[in-house]
Amino acid sequence: MNKIMYLEFERCIGCRSCQAACRECGDHDAKERNYVEYVDFMESRQTYPMLCMQCKDPACARVCPANAIQITEEGVVLSAMEEKCIGCRNCTFGCPFGIPKFDFEENKMYKCDMCYDRSKHDIAPMCASVCPSDAIRFIDYDEMMQLRRKRTQMNLIEGKKPQEGNKWEYVPEFFGVYSD
Amino acid sequence: MSSLERSFYSKTSMYAFFVVLILSISVWFSTGQFKHMDMALLGYLLSSMIFAIGLTIRMCAWLLRPATHKVIHRSFKNLRTRERKNRNLKSVFITAMENIFLQKFIFKRGLYRGIQHWLISWGCIGSFAITFGLTFGWMRFDLIDPETYQIVVFNVPTMIMPAHGLLAEIIYNGLNITASLVLIGVCMAIYRRIKDNDVKVTQRFEFDILPLYILLAVTVTGLFLTVSYVLLEGFMHHYLTLIHQVTVVILLIYFPFGKLFHLPIRPLTTAVPMNYQEKVQIDTRPCHSCGAMYSNDDQISDVKGILEIQAFDLQLEDGTFLADYCPACRRRIRVMKQLNLGGPQGNPFQPIETRNGIQMSGFGKKRSEDFYEGSNESEQTTVHGGDQ
Repeated sequence: MNKIMYLEFERCIGCRSCQAACRECGDHDAKERNYVEYVDFMESRQTYPMLCMQCKDPACARVCPANAIQITEEGVVLSAMEEKCIGCRNCTFGCPFGIPKFDFEENKMYKCDMCYDRSKHDIAPMCASVCPSDAIRFIDYDEMMQLRRKRTQMNLIEGKKPQEGNKWEYVPEFFGVYSD
Repeated sequence: MSSLERSFYSKTSMYAFFVVLILSISVWFSTGQFKHMDMALLGYLLSSMIFAIGLTIRMCAWLLRPATHKVIHRSFKNLRTRERKNRNLKSVFITAMENIFLQKFIFKRGLYRGIQHWLISWGCIGSFAITFGLTFGWMRFDLIDPETYQIVVFNVPTMIMPAHGLLAEIIYNGLNITASLVLIGVCMAIYRRIKDNDVKVTQRFEFDILPLYILLAVTVTGLFLTVSYVLLEGFMHHYLTLIHQVTVVILLIYFPFGKLFHLPIRPLTTAVPMNYQEKVQIDTRPCHSCGAMYSNDDQISDVKGILEIQAFDLQLEDGTFLADYCPACRRRIRVMKQLNLGGPQGNPFQPIETRNGIQMSGFGKKRSEDFYEGSNESEQTTVHGGDQ
């Protein structure tokens, strides 16, 4: 697997098609494993898609007392193995990004596995394949590096990154020009 | 204890030695100083000893993991606490009944899966109980007179039964009954593994399918022994016993290192109601940021401890840990960091200043006080005056 998931939160339009697609994926049992949430509802209507980071050294697997969370050869962190998971939810609290979900009925944890049956054959995961605004992209490593470089260049042109308190100072010149 | 440990290669080998020692003593005792040893079961006895060593090694490797160790440690601490006696007893009983005996959670994953798993598990546990009972000599049948058998348990004579009674027939056929349960369950499981496309996403041959074939081989060869001596007048019986023995040895050696290892670690489920969540879906700890209930104090301190042992530094600048926040807030923290929306920097009430000097209101934000310059001082005083 040489492709990479590339998220751009700013591009999210909150349509939740990624969640609908996730529900359709094989082995997902009609439950979505990703999130679309508001960054700060009182400030703006900006939403963000959230998926598992597929950590190299996942905290969720490290805090699992049953050793139920396994990592595949490709580096995908899978949901807890159903036969081992004791349903303690340690993974939910250990994950620094709040990703794993828990099913109290069936007593098992489930999390984004990058649609393992698709991504192991370099096919885009369900969410990336449906995202209309390219907030979630499944792209080559080189393309990802190019995009990242472009973002850094933009920051360099501006001198530094905008912050919450001063982001309006970075609005381009033509934005607020009024003339009579 | 430490000097004893030094005479072994490792703690694990020490435990394995004592497990084998205790098993050997139990065999010596229950067979009356090896007088009633069943020599036909000698191969099974040796492989059972190897099975016990394998299981000990695997259990030790599992218990050494920081996460497992922490949960087990808390469980034993809670078991010793007298104030928690009621909760402990209740959680052990409920877990034993609902989770281990009835396996309700698997039935909720699907009726087919529930039936299949229940048949395999109780068939296996029953078979193991009977075979280990017989191979270690914990249980044997003595002939008192040609018409009467006596069951001897741990070399203590217990009940007497007629050799051809109903009870005797059920006991003789115990293994046939449990093997039939396993056979039905295993066939259902193999059918599901072949037919269901969903399970194919993450299944692995050596982990998910091999144990089913091993169980199938054991049950089929075992049941064919009965068929051989009941219907075929002992056709190939000797060779069949050898084949069966080989399959059982493979099963016993595979057991601690494959999928079937989930059986001995299942009792850890008791730790969930005992340590963490007394009632399902009722949380007691509020999130540090939004205040929503998401967990309980014991669990969060365990999670922090486990992460600390393994050098995960998830502490934030203000001294809180990421585990102090509910999952939703943790997701938001990550996005805020990435979008540089971490916290207000500068004056949040500052009117917006673009570079061309045009002032725009802050989209719902108040103008800062100094925007109004002189006028606000007089307003302030009047408001205060009004209050007084």
